[in-house]
Amino acid sequence: MHVGGGFIVFIVNFLIRRLAQGVIIVFLVSFLIFTLLRVIPGDPVRLMAGGMAPDHVIDQIAEDMGLRDPIPVQFVRYMGGVLQGDLGQSFIRPASGAAVGGASFDDNTRSERAEVFDLIADTAPFTLQLALLAMAFALIVALPVGIYGGLRPGKWPDRLALYMGSLFISLPNFWLGIVLALVLSVNLGWLPAIGYQGFAYTILPAIVLAVEIAPFLIRSLTVSVAQNMRENYISVAAIRGIGHRRIVMAHALKNASVPLLNLLGVQFSMLLGGVLVVEFIFDYPGLGLLTINAVLQRDFPLIQGIAIVTSAAFVVINIIVDLVATTIDPRLEY
Amino acid sequence: MGTPLLDVSNLTVAVGEGASAPRVLTDISFTLEPRGILGVIGGSGAGKSVLAKAIINWLESPLRVVTGKVMFEGRDILTMSDRETRLLRGKAIGYVGGNPSGALDPTMTVGAQIVEKLQAVEPGTSYRKAQERVVALLDAVRIPSSDQRFNEYPFQYSGGMMQRAMIVDALVSNPRLIVADSITQPLDVTVGAQILKLLRELRDEFDTSILFVSNSLPTVADVSDRVIVLDRGIAVEQQPTADLITSPRSAETRQLIDELPTLWAHDDRSRLKPASEDARPIMSVRDVSRNYALASRGLLNFGPKRILQAVRHVDFDIYEGENFGIVGESGCGKSTLTRLLTALEPPDTGQITFEGKDIFGRGKEGTRAFRRRMQLVLQDPYNSLPPRNSIGTIIGEPLVIHGLASRKERRSRVLEVMAEVGLPASLYEELPMVLTAGQRQRVNVGRALILEPRLMLMDETLSALGQTEQGQLLDLLEKLQAQHGVTYLYISHDIAMVRRVCARVAVMYLGEVVELAENETLFFNPGHPYSRALLSAAPTLESRRYRSEDCLLDGEPPSPIDLPSGCAFASRCPQAFDRCLIENPRLQSRGGLNRAACHLLDSENTVPKEVSA
Amino acid sequence: MTNISNIDIPAVDNVQALTIAQRVVLGAWRSYEFRVGFFVFSAMVLLAIFWPMISSIDPLKINIRAKLMPPAFMGEGWSWTHPMGTDQLGRDMLMRSLVGLRYSLLIGLTTVVVMLAVGALVGLLAGYRGGLTDTILMRITDAQLSIPMIILAIAILGVARPTIPAIILVLGLSGWPVYARVMRSVVMAERKREFVRGATILGASDLRIMFLLLLPICLPPIAFVAVLDIARMMIFESVLGFLGLGVQPPTPTFGNIIADGRKYLVNAWWIATVPGIFLFLTLISLNLMGAALERSRNRVHGGEA
Repeated sequence: MHVGGGFIVFIVNFLIRRLAQGVIIVFLVSFLIFTLLRVIPGDPVRLMAGGMAPDHVIDQIAEDMGLRDPIPVQFVRYMGGVLQGDLGQSFIRPASGAAVGGASFDDNTRSERAEVFDLIADTAPFTLQLALLAMAFALIVALPVGIYGGLRPGKWPDRLALYMGSLFISLPNFWLGIVLALVLSVNLGWLPAIGYQGFAYTILPAIVLAVEIAPFLIRSLTVSVAQNMRENYISVAAIRGIGHRRIVMAHALKNASVPLLNLLGVQFSMLLGGVLVVEFIFDYPGLGLLTINAVLQRDFPLIQGIAIVTSAAFVVINIIVDLVATTIDPRLEY
Repeated sequence: MGTPLLDVSNLTVAVGEGASAPRVLTDISFTLEPRGILGVIGGSGAGKSVLAKAIINWLESPLRVVTGKVMFEGRDILTMSDRETRLLRGKAIGYVGGNPSGALDPTMTVGAQIVEKLQAVEPGTSYRKAQERVVALLDAVRIPSSDQRFNEYPFQYSGGMMQRAMIVDALVSNPRLIVADSITQPLDVTVGAQILKLLRELRDEFDTSILFVSNSLPTVADVSDRVIVLDRGIAVEQQPTADLITSPRSAETRQLIDELPTLWAHDDRSRLKPASEDARPIMSVRDVSRNYALASRGLLNFGPKRILQAVRHVDFDIYEGENFGIVGESGCGKSTLTRLLTALEPPDTGQITFEGKDIFGRGKEGTRAFRRRMQLVLQDPYNSLPPRNSIGTIIGEPLVIHGLASRKERRSRVLEVMAEVGLPASLYEELPMVLTAGQRQRVNVGRALILEPRLMLMDETLSALGQTEQGQLLDLLEKLQAQHGVTYLYISHDIAMVRRVCARVAVMYLGEVVELAENETLFFNPGHPYSRALLSAAPTLESRRYRSEDCLLDGEPPSPIDLPSGCAFASRCPQAFDRCLIENPRLQSRGGLNRAACHLLDSENTVPKEVSA
Repeated sequence: MTNISNIDIPAVDNVQALTIAQRVVLGAWRSYEFRVGFFVFSAMVLLAIFWPMISSIDPLKINIRAKLMPPAFMGEGWSWTHPMGTDQLGRDMLMRSLVGLRYSLLIGLTTVVVMLAVGALVGLLAGYRGGLTDTILMRITDAQLSIPMIILAIAILGVARPTIPAIILVLGLSGWPVYARVMRSVVMAERKREFVRGATILGASDLRIMFLLLLPICLPPIAFVAVLDIARMMIFESVLGFLGLGVQPPTPTFGNIIADGRKYLVNAWWIATVPGIFLFLTLISLNLMGAALERSRNRVHGGEA
């Protein structure tokens, strides 16, 4: 595998297989969400057109948009668009700006409504920035606490990891967000909290998010470092004459990083959940806020588009995670 | 003779603090000369591994040295600073342990890790130089294509290969002493024999002393000049090897020697019954093969599909009332064959008949009916019993499954069987945890027996038991056979056990039966070179009829995934010739019921003479 | 005394005779984190169950005259009638928080049971049958895992009306895949054990092996960790309430009280704080218990290996 050509063949094989699987997953997710949204009671057209709109108008709009066709037909049409990079148009949002909701039903024509793709593309960078900063904060805390806790099982660093993890995980994110906004922003005036007018606005939401992620990282690290330190090869390395520092740095931590990576892949959806709430609290203009508004406004194409994009992101992240994990631990290739 | 390399005096080790703490080693003293090999033998709990660890100052809490000195080249190892010990351990003393598969970091190549060690104990060695040295040593321990192996990961090494690599790891810093702690224990006997042979050669080549620790007296006797016998932490005897065996002074040593099986000398413990001539086959295996397709890697993998050939063209009969044995080492296909014989999965080709009917040809009900007549006694006494059921429930379960008895009848039937296999009725309500290994196996026998089977398949049933318990269980099985006329099929890796019990034996190697012979024939006039290799590596102190030097080459068993086209044993066979590499020999008759698969049989006289005693 | 102790009883090691599950609980009980968690949690549960039954205060009763009263000793105008103060409509904060806790516990517990049941079943089936069944079930699991659970939950609850059964179902169904994965890997390991092979050869049916043999062994170690998920689900429930997608007002839940309290944060901090403290105490007690159980489980299993 490490002979140049073989490795490339392996990577190409791996990518093809995983991408194929990923496509199936994204397809399944789309179908699931698509069906759910259409099976669940609640007519979006009523919302779009406004409560006052007469029934025949609603039927007309629904007819025009193809919402009265059988679900499989709608799905095939929709997926046809998705394959060409067209995620459809928002039911509610105009191309120009804020949501109009159900204000007036006669002047809200299709052509003026915003492209779902654009809406997602505009907000995603904000969320990415938030997520990366939060991840950085979380790692800064979790790495030392978790590793040190794993190296001293049963001693105080281990207890510190346990208490810190239990404390952080018991703080509901929305509640922490409110309190931090009150203390750090309103009372002390250290950090801006609401909206977005520059990078500083990312810091507070990122802290809240980091507190939510950190306990999982700490737990995973403590457990896997401690586990690896009990492995036979670690104790044998000492008799083989290898120094303690090197044993920890080059062997124990390297092996412990694989479960951590896997955790990052699996917990991606949890991170997204946190993003949602945090963006809502801080009115941060990212994907999360977009999602919540889409749900509250029953903007089906937008919900669908977000679901597809996030599940695709999940697939890609997990492919990267597995690829990195395989280069660290070549046994995973088999 | 000068000063000894290692001088241990009055070493006492205890568990925990305080004067009353239990002692693991008591007052051990010995010396080891340069170029000497000192054997340490002891059963489990004798303290032999603690001794090995004490010598490299690797005792971990709660183990504690109470008194004593371990002088290595005139310095006491036990009073050295951490730094000094570390340098000494890696450089002057090499250690090889009994768990080669877990001894190296799984995420780094074997070569890189040995280089890492060399650079740690000899700072300033360039990577290039270190690599050259490691590759040269890999060659020295006969690892084929060493420069490629250098770049492979631990999981790509077999157990025997890994043990060789660990020996390289110990040798790489030119140590004066190597501590070898139970190094052959996890290995197959023929692979272990190869390692022992290597160790003897290395001593001569590299000028190192070896402290060889093992629980097998024949193994220790094979390599050591002197032997210390440990029993519950006390050195009960210390003698040159030859004297120890011919004139043991302590009762413990005599017991160790008495417990060893004998293969060729007459043994009172033998349970052999002659194979009856006129019996009818109860089970027939006809040209049975089983392959497994391995998960292909990648969606667009157009290469040839990888096939693991687990069982290849196996063909034999088991006669009613006899004891039939199947022996072979790990990977020989015994467990797959067991799955086939118990109808857990069908063979790809071939047929298995039981009492004249195909065991797969009768649908689900047929299989159930077959399973009433044929029972398996499981291998590992600790894993084979569901931990939460009472013993009465476990033994009675087959009746429930087959709907054979009412609740009341069941109880009396279970108690009856328990009496028959020698379990007191008071155990009926107990959980399996309270049982000894021997009792657990009795539960397993009882559970199989309750359905009154015609054939009982003993899958390594005896191998986890000590000699005494083994003897008792064999008595029981013999009694049951006399009463019920059961046929036994023993599947085992233990050739000495087979010698005691089985009238006829099939020897398996890499999925094939290479020899099928009556007991006496197999042990006194084996027809296949692999059978001879197996006999040469058997753990016995008898003067051997076959020596591993003559019967085994250094090669590794080939992988069952890409088998060579010729004879599978050819790579390790000292008598292999051109034809063996091209054409796979088929079983051919050697007279009577004896058959073997070897080209040499075409010209019988080329078989090497046995070693004259 | 000496005579009695000399009677020869077959030595049964007490630790050995316990089942693994009992050993895990015992091991957890030895750590004081677990005991502290256990007592706090029990106190919260008892309070939530019995206080609303004993007290005559109605959590929904509006009393404008008693509005925005601070908790005891925390400012002017407090009273023992409302030890935790009142909200903007004069409703008793203690009672509202405890009712919120009731819903939170109810939803958290049932959700985890649903998750565990579905996940364990899927995992058992996939792990035991292997082959095609395994592939299909695991692909579905992966697909489910890759839909961010909260998006799914709020999408469904936002569009349909959020009732308690709907909340439990949505949270439960979106949380099962992790359990399915863990269960599958445990079953795959246990399936190779000797007694499973023994039972098959005895002629036991697949159902018998799966439910009578494997499930009792594989479930407890997973169920221990589920304690941690009760806490997680309680958080989710409160998040939903906060977003207005949980149990609907006027029924008080942690989420909707805190959402309300947010508007009065500056002049009546306790409205958002009191339920937050109740929620936090319950969560941390659950998490301490769960972490202690998990550690004890790892110790027990590590000791066996």
